[in-house]
Parts: sequence; structure tokens; C-alpha cells
Amino acid sequence: MVTKEEKITAGAPPSPKAETGPVAGVFRVLLRFPESSIAIVAIVIAIVFQLKNAGFLTALVPVLLSATALYGLIAIGESMLMITGEIDLSAAKVYSTTPFIAYYLTQAGVPFGLAALLALAGAALIGMVNGIITVRFGVPSLIATLGMLFLLNGLTLTVSHSEPVVTPSAEPINTFLGEGQQQPIGGLATYSGFIWLMIAMVVLTIVLRRTRFGMHTISVGSNLLAAREIGIRAERVKIANFMIMGFLAGLNGLIEITASGSTDPSMGDNSLTLYGIAAAVIGGTSLFGGSGTLVGAVIGAFVISSLLNGLPLVGAQQTESDIIVGIAIVIAIILNIVVNRWRERIARL
Amino acid sequence: MTQTTDPFNTAALESAPILLRTEHISKSFGAVTALRDVSMYLRKGEVLALVGDNGAGKSTFIKILCGFHQPDSGTIEFEGKPLHLKNPLDARQHGIETVYQDLALVNDLTVYHNMFLGRERIFRLAGFIPLTDNGGMRRMTREHLNRLGINLPNVSSLVRQLSGGQRQSIAVARSLQTAPKLLILDEPLAALGVREGGLVLELIQNLRRQRETSIILIVHNYNQVFEVCDRINFLHAGEIVLDKSTSDTSEEELVRIVKSGLGRAAVAEAVASTTI
Repeated sequence: MVTKEEKITAGAPPSPKAETGPVAGVFRVLLRFPESSIAIVAIVIAIVFQLKNAGFLTALVPVLLSATALYGLIAIGESMLMITGEIDLSAAKVYSTTPFIAYYLTQAGVPFGLAALLALAGAALIGMVNGIITVRFGVPSLIATLGMLFLLNGLTLTVSHSEPVVTPSAEPINTFLGEGQQQPIGGLATYSGFIWLMIAMVVLTIVLRRTRFGMHTISVGSNLLAAREIGIRAERVKIANFMIMGFLAGLNGLIEITASGSTDPSMGDNSLTLYGIAAAVIGGTSLFGGSGTLVGAVIGAFVISSLLNGLPLVGAQQTESDIIVGIAIVIAIILNIVVNRWRERIARL
Repeated sequence: MTQTTDPFNTAALESAPILLRTEHISKSFGAVTALRDVSMYLRKGEVLALVGDNGAGKSTFIKILCGFHQPDSGTIEFEGKPLHLKNPLDARQHGIETVYQDLALVNDLTVYHNMFLGRERIFRLAGFIPLTDNGGMRRMTREHLNRLGINLPNVSSLVRQLSGGQRQSIAVARSLQTAPKLLILDEPLAALGVREGGLVLELIQNLRRQRETSIILIVHNYNQVFEVCDRINFLHAGEIVLDKSTSDTSEEELVRIVKSGLGRAAVAEAVASTTI
């Protein structure tokens, strides 16, 4: 559908600077695809770790990819929300609560497959409550979801008496969800978490870029007043994105319990949410709404899981890893802001 | 032909049907009364300037006409039938298009996505997955802009990359996409240079010649639009205090009236003194 003359100018806005030399060409790709700069960072990190320890890109890959899935599913949901201008701090607690919904349903006699589906619906419902509190009562999502964080944490710990339970099992659902990750059985099941992440990334990228809902999601975050003036139901769009976040966090929790075989009320440390948000930001999603990419979020999650798993491999303590991760987050955000400024400056030429 | 003496066919306007009539519209926000009692009408094809100071209620009134706000009381009749608008999309479906002062454009979307915002064209992949028809929207946007004589190198640019004048053109072009029955332009000349402003005025003149689309122009100052409108309504403190055809008044007379203050009594007095 793209015509020839459009292809020529589509890359960047026509500007004399952007059309000369190979350096400018690279520059243009960097500006056109916000993911490209973080992709380069991810490759550099992988090469450095591989040079330091030859196991990084071989033996460590299953661990690396399941960790990427863990942070990536949260990061994708947070990215969608951040594009609408909202955020969800309760994600890690939805992640720990959802498996218990499934567990208690199986206790009541519901087969695990159905229980898992109902639990996912419950996770989406929690997201919906977050969304309704945010848009109907005008509570900033930071506060609304902070409340949800403590509520879910307390609820899960109370109901479960802080005791882990054995994950219900119904093959092949467990293998399909995440079990294959922990007991490498070879084949695709080893990467089940990562496969879920890829499915979520592809589906939601299509939703974001090629559906009316996606256009409205971007509009609501980019210019809320304009979206309303044009007749977009901004509240519904935001609530739906909260539900997507809840669903992904819940799915993530189910992957975790089937992988570990244990449904633990203390899983889902809040750092999971924060790593997810960091991955989204590192991947190029703006906290101010309107722009962001899910591919970037996944690469951001890969960078974080590389740092968390790779640094100990080259002899760093866990405490030292966090120093690097912290610096990486701040540098990534500064880079994003700087690149965005270039982008706008070039656009104005 | 009559065209030489009456290029805008103003004579025929008097027998044109009433497109829009509002009766006793009021609207308050908390303790603030924005509209007290607005009754007005608009004929098919007519160009009406709604003039008033800041805070007179212009914006509130048009936001009621375009479905953004709902009136506290009063009625709206559109094409002879009562009209109750639930939201702006509802208004657009009735053929009421608005170009807002802020233009209502989304910086992070392309020109063609903005052009179709809220009524994106879709196709069904494999018969059931509804995806946006980007190719179709791109092509239709290009055709539409060409038709209006708006020159834009690339409709796939993000709106944030456009100049002020280009943004205004896109917003106006969007409102004309579906041949609206009523076009509302909120401060269309604000923030525009002389040349760009000229384009907008020319566009209004073109529509006025065809007499198919009725236009409400919201302006701060009638001087800018005296040439292009058929009638001027003054809005003051939430009421329409003066309704004058441009053919039976002059800019001098309006200056005199405005200077006398815009209370209802003052206007009546000033009008009386000038007509006698």
C-alpha cells in the first residue's frame, strides 16, 4: 500500500541533514525506531557478558529468557498503561494473588484449567477496579494502585495464613503454562514463559498499532482533551488498559506457580513491579503518555534480566548488581529524553 | 445571472429552511452560570458569527452544540427534530463537525490517523479480526487534502512534526471530510498568520457560495469576519443580546453599539437611536 515517493520520505521528516551520508542513515534509523538504541545496548551487554563468561549465551539462556518473561509481561502491561498516561503499582500483587484465586477454585472442585481461566478473569477484574477508581473518582493511578497493592498483599497473606501450597496440577496445562521452564525437558516447553511473552508482545503490538482501540489508547495518553473532544470514550479506554495489565500480571503469576510447583503467598515482591516499570522506561516508553513500544519493553526486560543474571556470573554480588541496574535505568531515561529532543529538533528543520 | 450582484445568493437565504434552533439554553458549572438563556437560530447554508468577550459563554455554547456538554435546560432542534447529544461522536454522526480552538489533534499519531480519529476505517483480517485500514485512510487523506488544495508532503508524518498553519489546515480538513450540515469553527483565526488566516476565510467563502453547509464562527472580534458572514450574534453574560444581519448593519454601527455597552437595554437603546 505504501507508494514509492512515500517510502522515500517516510523514514524521517524531510530535512537536508537526515539525507546525507551513512552516519545520518544510522541516525535516522535510531530516530525512526525508538527501540533501536536500546536494542544496541542489549546486544553490547550480551557480547560483554559472553566474552567474560562463555556460558552466558548458551547454558544461561533458559534462565535469561524465563527472567525476561517474568519482567517482560509486567513491562508490556505497564507500557500500555503508561501510553494512556497511567501506571499500576499493584502488578506484583496481582501476580501473587491470581494463583491463589486459581488454587481456592480447585479446592472448591473446579478443574485446574477452568480455575486458571477464571483466575485470569479475576486478575482482569482487579485491573478494572484499579481503572474505575482512577477514572471515575479522579484518584491518581499511582495512589489507587498503591492502595490495591497493600489490599491484595494483606488479603493473600491472611487467607493463605502465609503458608505456601502445592500448585494444583492438570497436565498438559502445567507444562503448557510454565512447568517446562524449571525442569528442562527439552523442546519448546523449556521456553514456555518466553513464548507467552512473545505471544503477548505480538498480539498487543498489533492491538496498539493496527486497531481502533490502539489508536484511542495513544490518543488518550497523548492529548486527553483532544480525545474527548473528538468523541473517544477516554474512561473506557483507560479501564481496558488497566484490565490488560491485570490479565498479564495474573498470567505471569500462573506461569510462575506452574514453573516452581509451589503457590507461595510471599512471591511477587514489589521489586517485580519496579523492574517491570524500569524495563518499560528503558525500552523507550514515556511516563507522560502517548508514546511507547512493547518491543522496547521486552528488550528492556532482557537488559534487566541480563544485568541481574549476568553480573553475578562475572563475580558481582547481588548488592552490586543493583548499583549497575540503578545507573542503567537513569542513563536510559536521560538517553530517551535526549533522543526525543533530537527527534523534535530534526522534525522542525 | 444574479451571481454578479449577489455572489453568495443571499436573497435565497431568507427562504432557506431553519437548520438549527436553540430555545432558552442554560448551563451552570457549580455556582458559575455560563449560559443564562440562549435562544438562536441558523438557516441552512448560513454563516453566523457568534461574537462576545472572554467569559461571555461562547465556548460553553458551542460545546453544547457539539455534544461535549449537556445543557441544564432548554431545547435544541436540528432539521426540525429535537436533538439530544450524548457525546461529541454523537454530534459528528448527526453531521455536526467542530474545529476546536485547540484543534483537537493528537501529536503522537500520523496525519491520516488524526484525520480519521474516532471513526477509523477498518478491514477484517481473515473475515473477523478488525484492523485499521491504514492504506485506505492514507489514500483517502491524500485525496481529500488535494481536493481542498492543502499541500502537505507526507500524510504519514506525525502531527507533532507540522507547523501551526499545517495543523490548522488538518483540523479544518478533518471537519470537512463528511460534508457536514453544521460546521462550528472556534476562533479559527487565532494563532494564524495573515496568509494562513486568508486561507481559512477563503474556505469559508467557498462553503458560503455553495450554501450547503451552515457555519457558526466563534470570534472575539467581528472585524475579522464581517466580510464572510451573513449574520452576527452578540453573546454577553450568557445571553444573546443582539442579532443583526450584516446586510442591514455596518461595522460603524456595530462599533457604536458595542461601545454603548452590551447590556440588553443599552443595546436596544443604541439600535433605536441609530435606526431613527
